[in-house]
Amino acid sequence: MSEYRTADGHVHATMRIVLVCATGALQFGLGLQPLLTREYRHRWLAVAAFVALACVTAVCCGWVLRRRPLPAAVAAAGTVLVLAASFGAMAAAAPGQRHAAPDWSFGLVGWHLLLLLLDRVRVLVAVLAAHLVASLGLLLSSGVADRAAFGATGAAAFGAVSVQLAVVVITRVLQRQSQEATAVAEERDRLETRVLLARQWEQGQRSALAGQLGSTLPLLAGLADGDLDPREEDTRRRCALAATQLRRQFAENDEVPDPLVHEVTACVDAAERLGVDVSFAVSGAAVPVPPQVRRELTAPVVTALSAARSRARVSVLRTDREIRIAVVADAGADGVTASTGQVRVEHGAYGEHLRLEARWRTPPS
Amino acid sequence: MAHPAELSAVIVDDHPAVRAGVAQWLSTGSPPITVAASGEDVRVAWTGEGATADVVILDLHLGGPAPALSELRRLAEAGRRVVVYSMRADDEIALQCLELGALSYLTKAEGAEHLLEAAAAAASGRAYTPPSLAGALAGDRSTDRPVLSARETEVLIEWFQSESKDFVSRRLGISPSTVNTHLEHIRIKYAMSGREAPTKAALLARAIQDGLIGVDDL
Repeated sequence: MSEYRTADGHVHATMRIVLVCATGALQFGLGLQPLLTREYRHRWLAVAAFVALACVTAVCCGWVLRRRPLPAAVAAAGTVLVLAASFGAMAAAAPGQRHAAPDWSFGLVGWHLLLLLLDRVRVLVAVLAAHLVASLGLLLSSGVADRAAFGATGAAAFGAVSVQLAVVVITRVLQRQSQEATAVAEERDRLETRVLLARQWEQGQRSALAGQLGSTLPLLAGLADGDLDPREEDTRRRCALAATQLRRQFAENDEVPDPLVHEVTACVDAAERLGVDVSFAVSGAAVPVPPQVRRELTAPVVTALSAARSRARVSVLRTDREIRIAVVADAGADGVTASTGQVRVEHGAYGEHLRLEARWRTPPS
Repeated sequence: MAHPAELSAVIVDDHPAVRAGVAQWLSTGSPPITVAASGEDVRVAWTGEGATADVVILDLHLGGPAPALSELRRLAEAGRRVVVYSMRADDEIALQCLELGALSYLTKAEGAEHLLEAAAAAASGRAYTPPSLAGALAGDRSTDRPVLSARETEVLIEWFQSESKDFVSRRLGISPSTVNTHLEHIRIKYAMSGREAPTKAALLARAIQDGLIGVDDL
């Protein structure tokens, strides 16, 4: 909505600049000459009306040239002043000359009103109509109009009003077009953003996968080239690690109610397939864990399980303060995972057993 | 500790294979526990020889969809020593069973060793805390849970994580019997909180006899 309002604002601002120029040019081009040369009943009144109208235009310039909408108070005061000046100018002319050349105000004030009330179309039409009716009423009440003069006045009034209404219509049309253009541009921007986001996501996925595959690719290459012997304990352990890592990674993007336990279960499955007897227990209700923290929490599980020889105990404990994932496995102490920023990893060797624990303090809810 | 008579148990489980397996395990214990009766319905614990058995080994899921908690409550109210033996590892149900007066809660994934210990402990009126139950207690977030000391919480968590009291005692630098004492203290704290049950009162009386707590602690 605000974009539409901005678009309207641009149309109005531009139209107002055109109107300020037109109003100034019309007033001085068509009004100044009769004011100075013709006869008036009250010249001072005609001059005052002329000056008042010029002032209205000048004051409007203050906002119009900065492309700002006119404040309501300025528009209202200006409208009252313009109408007063119009009737002043009409009163200044002799009754017989009303709506003739010395009465330069009749066609002109419509432009002032248009300038003041361009963005308030209903008020504008009402004021224009009121002005027209009042002027014609005054003309008829003076009672001296002959048919020809009346016809000429009517034609002049019709001409002026229709040009002014045309300006209103043009403004509306421009407004609508600029709104449509804004909507189209916005939609295009939205699409572009979405495409950009999708690309970034895809790139992120690719680099994450490449990062995770980091240890797998050289391993596969080594096996394929015959550099690594599948019978060796070390090769087997590296394979176990790669398999568990991959299995955990596949589980990472699954839509499940408890992603952390889902990922740990994937690690446990992978280890069980490799012949490790795993006892797995979970305690406490699920709490939301950011994906990065999940990765850091499950990394020690992957390491310890891939190092396990035959038995392992995996446990997930969730208290009101923290999450603790521990693995106790019959393995050497070489499976070491370093602590990361958010997750504290503790490891130790106890006789034949390796114990790894990852702890994450849950944010207070 | 003298055993004046042979210990006996009644097994309530809807699977014949489980009943047979549990009976076999109990007979290999030391001291061995004889099976007085077994059946798929809890009535077997109220009638005949089952009514006087020292321990009731109760499967919580007897065919129906809802766990047999009301059966457990009735048994505990009658002062029967119940070991709950459940298919599911559900912390909330485990805590509820303790609240109702069960002396132990085991999951079927926990093997013979824990069942034997639980049955022997229950037969002498003592509680037994297997690792899964330790996990449930450690993860207990209920507002009216008893306050445990830092050491007790550590013992619970280490026991849950390793399933080995030797490992716990090595990790914490305490003797295995101290590990047991901590676990028993924790169970006494749980027995003193929440609703009353004859089995809980008996558990506290037993703890006083064993010198675990003084009368003033009550």
